[in-house]
Amino acid sequence: MIRNYFKIAWRNLMKHKVFSLINIIGLTIGISASVVIGLMIFYDTTFDTFHKDSDRIYRVVSDFSDPEESFSNSGVTLALEDAIKEQSNLEIVSGFYIERPSKVENKALNSEFKWPNFVIYTDENYFKIFDYNFLAGDTDHVLTRPNTVILTEQRAANYFPNTAASDIIGKTLVYNDSLQITVTGIVENFKQRTDFVFEEFISKPTLLQTRLRAQVLEKNWNSTNSDSQLFVKINANADLQTIQNTLDDLAKEHTDEDSKKYGEERKFSLQPLADIHFNEAYGIYDWSKGQASTSLLLNLALVALFLLLLGCINFINLNTAQASQRAKEIGIRKTLGSSRQQLIGQFMGETFLLVLISALLSVLLSKWLITVFSDFVPEGLDFELITSPIIIVAFILLLLIVTFLSGFYPALVLSKFNTVSVLKNHLAIGQKKAKLRKFLTVFQFTIAQVFIIATLLVGKQINFLLTKDMGFKTDAIVSVYSPRNERSIDKKERYARALSKIPELKTISIGGVAPASFNVSSSGLSYTNKNKEIHTDIQFLYGDTHYLDLFELQLLAGRNIRNDTIQELVINETSRKLLGFDNPNEAIGQIVQVNNETVPIVGVMSDFYQRSLRSSIKPMALRGDWYRPDYSQFQTLHIAFHNESSEGLKQTLSKIEDAYRSVYTDTEEYRVEFLDENIQKFYNRERKISKLLNWATGLSILISCLGLLGLVIYTTNRRVKEIGVRKVLGASLMEINTLLCKEFLILVAMAFVIAAPIAWYGITRWLQDFAYKTSVSFWVFVVSGAAMILFALLVISFKTLQAANANPVEALRSD
Amino acid sequence: MIQITDLEKFYKTEEVQTIALNKLSFNVKEGEFVAIMGPSGCGKSTLLNILGLLDDPDGGSFKFNGTEVAGYNERKRSELRKHNIGFVFQSFNLIDELTVFENVELPLIYTGVKPAERKKQVEAVLEKMQIMHRRNHFPQQLSGGQQQRVAVARAVVNNPKLILADEPTGNLDSTNGNEVMDLLIDLNEAGTTIIMVTHSEHDAKYSHRIIRMLDGQKVTENILA
Repeated sequence: MIRNYFKIAWRNLMKHKVFSLINIIGLTIGISASVVIGLMIFYDTTFDTFHKDSDRIYRVVSDFSDPEESFSNSGVTLALEDAIKEQSNLEIVSGFYIERPSKVENKALNSEFKWPNFVIYTDENYFKIFDYNFLAGDTDHVLTRPNTVILTEQRAANYFPNTAASDIIGKTLVYNDSLQITVTGIVENFKQRTDFVFEEFISKPTLLQTRLRAQVLEKNWNSTNSDSQLFVKINANADLQTIQNTLDDLAKEHTDEDSKKYGEERKFSLQPLADIHFNEAYGIYDWSKGQASTSLLLNLALVALFLLLLGCINFINLNTAQASQRAKEIGIRKTLGSSRQQLIGQFMGETFLLVLISALLSVLLSKWLITVFSDFVPEGLDFELITSPIIIVAFILLLLIVTFLSGFYPALVLSKFNTVSVLKNHLAIGQKKAKLRKFLTVFQFTIAQVFIIATLLVGKQINFLLTKDMGFKTDAIVSVYSPRNERSIDKKERYARALSKIPELKTISIGGVAPASFNVSSSGLSYTNKNKEIHTDIQFLYGDTHYLDLFELQLLAGRNIRNDTIQELVINETSRKLLGFDNPNEAIGQIVQVNNETVPIVGVMSDFYQRSLRSSIKPMALRGDWYRPDYSQFQTLHIAFHNESSEGLKQTLSKIEDAYRSVYTDTEEYRVEFLDENIQKFYNRERKISKLLNWATGLSILISCLGLLGLVIYTTNRRVKEIGVRKVLGASLMEINTLLCKEFLILVAMAFVIAAPIAWYGITRWLQDFAYKTSVSFWVFVVSGAAMILFALLVISFKTLQAANANPVEALRSD
Repeated sequence: MIQITDLEKFYKTEEVQTIALNKLSFNVKEGEFVAIMGPSGCGKSTLLNILGLLDDPDGGSFKFNGTEVAGYNERKRSELRKHNIGFVFQSFNLIDELTVFENVELPLIYTGVKPAERKKQVEAVLEKMQIMHRRNHFPQQLSGGQQQRVAVARAVVNNPKLILADEPTGNLDSTNGNEVMDLLIDLNEAGTTIIMVTHSEHDAKYSHRIIRMLDGQKVTENILA
């Protein structure tokens, strides 16, 4: 019987090629989207699930808040580990410190490795929390002695090429020119998905021999560094609230006077291991890999769901519309003794066949989609993942659900036909079914319409962000960074002098970051204005005397700083207002407190956007390189070109690089950035959303229009005779086309009426994230509505014109 | 085999009620061949649908093999139908997507016959109807006469006790029509009860008894043999 069903299903499929194709395209797109997004969700939710008792492992993190804002740090004070070590609720407590050595040498091989990454200082407890597989070395007393290190297999292969793991044990490496460290163990790199990417584990006592010695000895409760990480494994039946209470008490006990005075609060929280891969507030260890975002996954899942629904709706619409054509078969089958259940089974079988074909195509399509959506797909996601048992089971489940969603209603409708009237050709197509089809069509076009409006408005906002005047010069400026370990100012000045000889360059300035960047340096500032003490956080720009000039920042009052290191400030308008000065001139000469130093305000500059337009303008000041002898803040050379066009740019850039090479002869490193490109990077997220929306819009229009085409073909074929009669009676081509289109255009128009407020609401909410936003213009709605109607009209006319053009005699003869 | 008493059937539209069967009564014995005649709209087809358990009467009694079946639900009717009744229609009603073999096989599938057994039975009946050589063709590829032979083959493949024929020769020329009538006579002689609705006096003469109807009522009854 099953074979019989499939046979007839296949023949039906071939008989109605256009409808089958429409159904298959729609379902394939929906299933592919679901597969890709399903893979992403699976990939991202299976990080670090392989550790033993992973649900009992937590990272202790710090959350800060003050009256103005709150922020988080994945690290905790070095003092916390000792304070909680003896807690009875905690099975294991292990802190580690992330610190990149500047150099590691294998003297035996005379090889040198600069700035190796993922190096931590830790203890044996780390290996009790996380399950590493030891390939060689002592597993009983790991990392208890100073000057010992455990390497991963991969790192070991780097430092000791072609050496067996057991032979590496006991060998010595030299860190930072002077630290002699012995290898005591080799562990396997994690094979499963993990965010614990560390490659070298140096024993904690070794920290005392590094630049961090003072910090480690001091264990200051009020210093928090994200490099100082703390993990705990709680007891099997421990109460989380009790642990939290202990942490709260510790935080309270160690609040310093200043924090109390300014209403600043710190809280230690337990971050579950499973949260690490998702929570951007605390981050992961390998930033280059990018973190998973719950909201992104959720949005993607919604898109997939919509596309899947659109595909299912096409199936339902086309199959119920076509039902009358299959009525005879149903009547005969019933006469011959088929029960209704058997008929439903048969139609579900047919649906399943179609879904199966779509599923096979989806597997191919998803593979391609993963490359198209590489912006969204996590880097390590391999299509091979599709062969994992959970995914296969989920895939089969998806197919069954899709089969049910698409097939059940049509099967119900078809199997309900009354045998007698079917065989007598008295089949009345129920008005109810036509109504349902209309409803579903409106639903489809509502989705497509919402996507169109959203795409246009998001595009408009991105355009607004990118073209908005930032308040300083952003084009024809490049920034060259000094080598990472190079702190000397002399070389920078030599480099600046070399650059000044290049005629294509207009201005050169040595300083910190550009006026707008991801890096923010800030500190507290106090000022007493009319007996009222004002305390605020202020961001600093570090620059020499050319900085204002180069970025074309406007001075509203006062003057520029007098030299590179003098303790003077040029504040922005926002700071001026915050400190209570009525006009820029009033601020000049006033003395403020910064880091216990008294500094005069010498100038006021106009406001500009320091980050993306999501955030509002913060208090900011330009200052020089105050602590140059100890620690220079000047790490960058900003260069403005005379010529704003890209003509001759390549030659100028290579001259800039040549000058760099002539000064920095001992390094390979060369980092150059264009300011305007950096500013565009502020909006990577928006651009991703825009790309996603473009695709979602395109696909939803495609599926919906295909479905509409199917319905139009069907309706028009049914009305061939009517069209013939009307033509014989003298109707014009235009009149007939209008008659046929009207029915469908009304549906599209209804969809617009429903979609417009939904889209308006959604986009208004999205725009709330931005401090500065474009207007939600009326014309966007008009244009998108018109576009949708135009699409629909094109699709409809494709068939209706053909029908209206047909010779009426043909249509009438067939009767 | 069939006893109907005061059988009634109405069709209602919003404004008018049409009486299709008006207190109709007659019996059919096992092994009989009965022809039912009458002008269009006299209720012949309605009667046949009720006899074939495709439709429900609105009043009266319908006993099939001594059991009252008026008021049976769809599932019970379907059960009784697939084991006891075969249909032959004027417009053949073959499924276009299935081959000759598959069309004839359908009733056996629904009665749950095993595949090997099905093959044997279908081939036997196709042989008997002399249509074996067309077993893999689709209905559209056959002539009208051949199609009706397939339809008859399908009607008899699971040896029903009763065959209901609705103008079986209506769409056929006289040669093909006669062939089909011969098939029905053969079946009847082998013991199958046949009730045939027809407009053709010629065809009606093949039967044992002719019931003439008008406006849902029996007018006359001629016994021929």
